[in-house]
Parts: sequence; C-alpha cells; structure tokens
Amino acid sequence: MSDAQTPGTNTLIPGTDKKRTIMTENTEIKKTTVTDTPTGAATGISTSIDTQQQQHHVAVLALDNVSYAYTKGGKKIFHNLSYTFEAGKVYAITGPSGAGKTTLLSLLSGLTNPTEGKVLKGGADLASMDRYRYRSRDIGVIFQSFNLLPSLTVSENIILSLDASGKKFNLPKKDIAAQMLERVRLPREYENERILHLSGGEQQRVAIARALSYQPNIILADEPTGNLDLTTQDDIMDIFKTLAHRENKCVILVTHSPEVARQSDEVFQLEALRHRKAAA
Amino acid sequence: MFVLKNAWKSVIRNKGRNILIAIIVAIIAAAATVGLAIRNAASDIEAEGLSSTAVTATISVDRSKLISQARSESSSDSSSDSQPDFESMRENLSQDNLSLSDYEKYAKASSVGVSTYYSENTSLDATDDFQPVETSDSSSDSSSSSSSSSSSDSDSSDSDSSSSSSDSGSDSDSSSSQQGPGGQGGGMIGMGSSGDFALTGFSSDTAVSNASNGSFTMVDGEVFGYDSASDGKIIISKALAEFNDLKVGDTVSVEKTIDDDTQTYKLTISGIYKNTSSSESAGGPMGGTSQDPDNAIYTSVSTLEKLGIDSEADNADDTGTQLNFTYVLGSDDDYKTFAQNVKTAGLSDTYTVSSPDVEAYESSLAPMKNLSSFTLTFLLIVLGVGAVILIVLNLFNVRERKYEVGVMTAIGVKKPKVALQFVVELLIVTMVGLGIGVVGGAAAAGPVSNQLLSSQVSSQQSEQTSQQQQFGRSANMGGAPGSSNSDSSDSTDSSGSSAAPSAPSAPNGSSNGAPGAATKATEYISSLNATVNLTVVGQLILIGLALTLVSSLVGIIFVMRYEPLQILAERS
Repeated sequence: MSDAQTPGTNTLIPGTDKKRTIMTENTEIKKTTVTDTPTGAATGISTSIDTQQQQHHVAVLALDNVSYAYTKGGKKIFHNLSYTFEAGKVYAITGPSGAGKTTLLSLLSGLTNPTEGKVLKGGADLASMDRYRYRSRDIGVIFQSFNLLPSLTVSENIILSLDASGKKFNLPKKDIAAQMLERVRLPREYENERILHLSGGEQQRVAIARALSYQPNIILADEPTGNLDLTTQDDIMDIFKTLAHRENKCVILVTHSPEVARQSDEVFQLEALRHRKAAA
Repeated sequence: MFVLKNAWKSVIRNKGRNILIAIIVAIIAAAATVGLAIRNAASDIEAEGLSSTAVTATISVDRSKLISQARSESSSDSSSDSQPDFESMRENLSQDNLSLSDYEKYAKASSVGVSTYYSENTSLDATDDFQPVETSDSSSDSSSSSSSSSSSDSDSSDSDSSSSSSDSGSDSDSSSSQQGPGGQGGGMIGMGSSGDFALTGFSSDTAVSNASNGSFTMVDGEVFGYDSASDGKIIISKALAEFNDLKVGDTVSVEKTIDDDTQTYKLTISGIYKNTSSSESAGGPMGGTSQDPDNAIYTSVSTLEKLGIDSEADNADDTGTQLNFTYVLGSDDDYKTFAQNVKTAGLSDTYTVSSPDVEAYESSLAPMKNLSSFTLTFLLIVLGVGAVILIVLNLFNVRERKYEVGVMTAIGVKKPKVALQFVVELLIVTMVGLGIGVVGGAAAAGPVSNQLLSSQVSSQQSEQTSQQQQFGRSANMGGAPGSSNSDSSDSTDSSGSSAAPSAPSAPNGSSNGAPGAATKATEYISSLNATVNLTVVGQLILIGLALTLVSSLVGIIFVMRYEPLQILAERS
C-alpha cells in the first residue's frame, strides 16, 4: 500500500514554491522511501488534497525580523530572522547543534517572546495575545523530552490537554484519546498505562497523540522522530504529512535527521551560530 | 470544574504525601479544637455568669483618696508643720459618710432597675441583768490589748466561739492569719462602737438574709416586723439567750452612753436565732465582745429610729451608728450601668461603687481565666507551628511538582488555574484532616479541659496558701494589729500553743464593704463544660481555610514565578 498522496505533493511543491534544490532532492528520496514503507495510511485522496492545498496556502505563522537573546543585552541567537509558515505544508527546521532550533520552536509556541521583532500568528503579534490560550488551542507542541506527566496514565495525559484546550468535543474525551492512540498506532491497552512504563518511542507517540488530540491548526514538533526506529519514523512522518496535506494543518518539525528533512515540503535551514556571528 | 477534577485526581494519586499532611492537620486541628472549646466554655461562663443573677453593690468611701486629698490641702495650708494635720483629716473622713437620703437619691438616679436594703448597726453596753457572751471579765479593755498578750486573748475567745467559727476554716491548718474586719464600711469598728453588744437594725428581710454575721435560722419565736408596730422587738442568738437564761417574750435592758449621758433601753425578745453559716468577723483581741457573733442583737431599722440611735438621728456622730446600704441589681451589666449612673448623678470621686458579688465572682473565675489565657497562647503556638509545617510541606510539594507545573503551563493551562488546583488539593486534604481532628478533639476536650482547670485551681489555691503563710505579704491585706498572734509561719515550732487552728480563713486581698463575701475562701469554678459546638466547628473551618491559604500562598508564589520554558529546559 503505497502512500498515494506523496506523488501529488511532490509535484505540487516544486511548482508552487520557490524552487529549491534540496526540495527536489527531498521529493525524489521521499518517493522511494514511502513506497518501501509497509505501513499504509489514507489512500486515494490525493486529488482532493491537491485542490485543498492550492486553495489554502495561507500564512498562519510568521517570523518578522525576530532577534532573540536569552538574557537582556546578552548575545543574540537570532538576528532579524524572517520566515513564513503556511497551512498545508510540512516544514523542517534544520541546523547544527546550538543553532537555536529549539529556541525557535519556543518562540513559535509562545513559550517565550522575541527580544526584537515579532512572531505573527494570522498577522497578529503573538506577544500581545493570550499565549496560554494560543498554546492550549491553536498549536500542538511535541516536545523533545515529550513533557508528559509521568504519574498520569496515557489517556489521562491526553485528556488533560483536551481539558486544557477548553474546546467542546462531540465524543467523550476518553474515546478521543483512544482514537488518537489508534492514530499513532499504539495498542489500545496502553490507555491506562502509566507513562513511566512506556518506552521512549511509545512516549513520543503519546506526546504526538496529545498534541493532535484537540485538533490544533499548527503542529510544532521538536525532534519528533529522534527516539524512533526507521519504520516508526516513517509512520510518524506519514501522520504529519497527512495532517498537512489532508487536513491543511501547518506542521513544523525541528530535526537533525536529513531523512525527515527530505520528507518535508520545505526546509528552513538555520546556520550555525558562529557562522552568523562571523557574518555579522 | 477542570481545576476541581484535576485537584481531586491529584489528591487521589499522591496518597502517601496527602495522608501525611492530613495527619499533621488532624493533630493541629485536635489541639485547636480543645483550645477553642476551652475558650468558648470560659467565655460562656464569663458572659453568662452574672448576667442572670442579682448582684449587690455598695458605695463606699475611697479612703486613700480622701487622705491624700486632705493631706494636700493641709500641706498647702500649713507648710511649716511637718506633722500631718490629723485633726482635719479625721474630720474629712467622718464628714464624708453618705446619709440614707444620699443613698436613696443614687438609687433613684439609676437607669436600671434597682432595689435596695440597708442595715444600721451600733453598739450597746451590757447592764447587770443582761451580759454578753464572753470568757474573761475584763471585757472592757480587750480592745486595747497589745500584740504580746493577744495570743492568750484570742486563745480564750476562740475556745468559746469555735462552735460557730471552726466550721469556716476551709484550709484551716496553716491559715491562721487573722484579719481584722477589713476595709472601710465594714462597720463595726467605727469609733466608740466597741460595746458589749452589736445592735443591727434591718430594713427588710433581704437585709436580714444578708446579715454580716452570715445567715441564721430561728430556733424559737419569730422575727420582728419592720413597721413601727413591732418597735422594740429584737432577736438574740441562742448562745446569748442561754448565757443570760432568757426566753422569747422576756424583756432585756441595755445601755448606751452618748456624750457621757447613759441611756437605758428596754427591748423585748421576740425570737431566738442560731447562726447557720460561718461567722467571719473574728472575735479577735481588738474587737471587743460586740464582735462576737453570738453577741449580735437584731432588730428593725424602725426600732433604732424609735430609740433615737439610727444613722439619721441628730446625734448620729456620737452614737456611732453605721449605715450599710446595699443596692441589688438585676445583673452584672446593670451593675456597671448603675456605677456610671451614680457617677453622673454627682457621686464624688472620693467614693467608689463596688460589688462584693461581682468581685467574689471574678476572683472565683481566676483559674479559669488563667486557663483561658494559657489556652490562647497554646492555641497560637499550635497554629503558628502548624502553619510553618504546612508551609514547608507545601513548599516541598510545589518544588517537587515543578515539572508538572511546567508541563501544565506549557500545554496552555493558565498559571492561576494551576495555583488554584494546588490550593484546592491542599484544601481537600486539610478539610479531611480537620474533620478527623475535630472528632478527636471533641472527644478529648472535656477531660483535657477539666484536667487543666483542676491543675490551675490547685496552683491558685497553693499560691493563696503561701500568701497566707507569709502573712499575706504579697496580697494587700489590711494587717490587723492582732494578727501576729499566730505561730502560723509553719508547723516547725509549737503547734500546740494557741489560736491558729480554728482561726477563720483569711481572704485574698479584696477587702471591701462586705466581709461576708470577701473573707470566705474563694470557691473557684472547677469544671468547664468544654464541648464542641457549631461555633467551634465554624471557627475551626475558618482556621483551616486560613491555614490552607497561608501555607499555599508560598506555593502560589512559586507557581506564579515559574516559567514553563525554564522548567522544561532544566528538565531536558
């Protein structure tokens, strides 16, 4: 069962976006990997996704001349960074260690505010918004260290996020949690398992399930495949791609993995800090 | 809802720690319950104590004030003279006895209901056919006996009066410091009053029942009336009747010397009485035989008037008749109002309104008040320590759950909500602990409070005893000249010698107009009904809430200060 959406996306992205050599490379490699993957996701919807994406490439999140320093007056990690994230795409933020990938994710998730410049969400400055509400409803964050509550069970962790979002759901929250576990391909009996009893990969999937559970429009993930074996990694990437291409979400991944970067629609390369310093 | 649900789940999840907190809260709550119950019971007693019972009040001269006034006057007059002007001072003191009409004026000035009664007493001398009860012949000079001879004096007087006075010694062994009739207004020691008999005229039955010699019962005949029809009728004590071989219906004649002019009065015995309660006025060396309760003759005020020796008579100064006027008020509060009314009605500063009942009652509350204030200290310490423990526990709790705070805030739960959840968690645990503590405290309150109170009472009593052993040095007892008779300082030397054992017990300091109340050994309130009622529970819940809030305040501050990014960064 090959992933039917990929060909469509591949052809689409180079066409619509600024042409990048990396991208074309990506798509080629992706194609092969995806077809090799034994796991099959949604099939036969590629055409509809094409049209969706063409309609909905709206900028949802943007960096506007963002500079950031950990301490006031300290050394800046970013200098006048600008970038636009659109709905319906999978973005990969790459770069060497210490380039500030995770910090960038923190900025995007509203955990911290830029020292200079703005993070724009739908055109509005995130710094002046209710960032708790933004975090609980608009974005789903998959942290590098998962940030699941170890004393809670799998479904309790998911339900906690559902509760925190304050959204209304048609289904009982327990059922949504079960659905989400199914979606990340965790067996149902994991529902009542404590997080501590799960392996790293399993925890990562729970973190993903939690981030997706309340259906945010933006998914941020920090090394989402870092703890996973190749097969699972592809599984997860499939999920992200489905989210972006089928459900028109904006998926932003921070990754080391060239593989993940290749599977993404766009790559946002952060330069190493010292290079930028030299340039400045 | 979200907060409540999470808080409840979290409480359930962290059983161990929460049970620990609940136990600590339970202990604090139990201690606080006992303390509050004691304080409640104590304040109930204080509030209710005299609110529904009648209290008596008297107006008396504030002698020390008078003397200081007179002294300042005289010193300005004659500065050359270093000797105080005794003459003018005495004059001053004697002038200021209130008259019957004054007393009645103040009764009318009262805005609260007040009833009054009074008695007048004077002294009479014996005639050949009517002699006072006494042992020695030299009765007339007994008042001048020196302290060296006093021990033999009191010895003898004791031996015959012991029938009435020995039963009064509640803590008789060591207490032997005799007290001369203390204070002003005590009546019988006015100048020239040391005759053979004490004649007391009463205005009503109430006055009789409050006779300064204590209550009595009639053994023969009946009591006199109060109108003029029964003028000349008296009642005498059984001992006096037997001593003189008199019976009801007999007539006795007594003498009174006024300004060297001796008058003889004939009085009819209408009844013979017997003292039932203790007689406090000591038949000491200084009082003369008229101080012996057996030599008290009772009659009506009207009789005194007829004889012309009442306090309103023209020669009242010479007859030495003393007026004891007593107001009866409905309650303790009425008494306070009355005291104020009297002041506004023009009673000068040199008089004080006092109530032996209230004073006696208040001194009976002493151990309870001690306990109450001790309890307050205890309560504050327990609550203080409890609060500190809870704060520390809560602090560790929040620090331990820092990561949880980080995750919660990172997924978008607002900090106040997180803080609120922590508070609610603590509140649930505190309330559970409080419930257990209240039940335990309620069970313990009764026995514990009575145990504490009885130890207070006994310490109060031993303190009083030691004061008596030291001749009341630490109390403001008016030292009677004869009080040195006793070997009471301890039983080290001869216990056999003299008066000590049967001497009436001495009071603690409050010497006021009514020896009856003041000279009794105070009966302390010795049981408390420390039960846990709704008030206590309400107070405890408030305390619980306050403790929770105080202790979670630290937690709240921590939560509010945490930045999710920081926590998560530290973690990873």
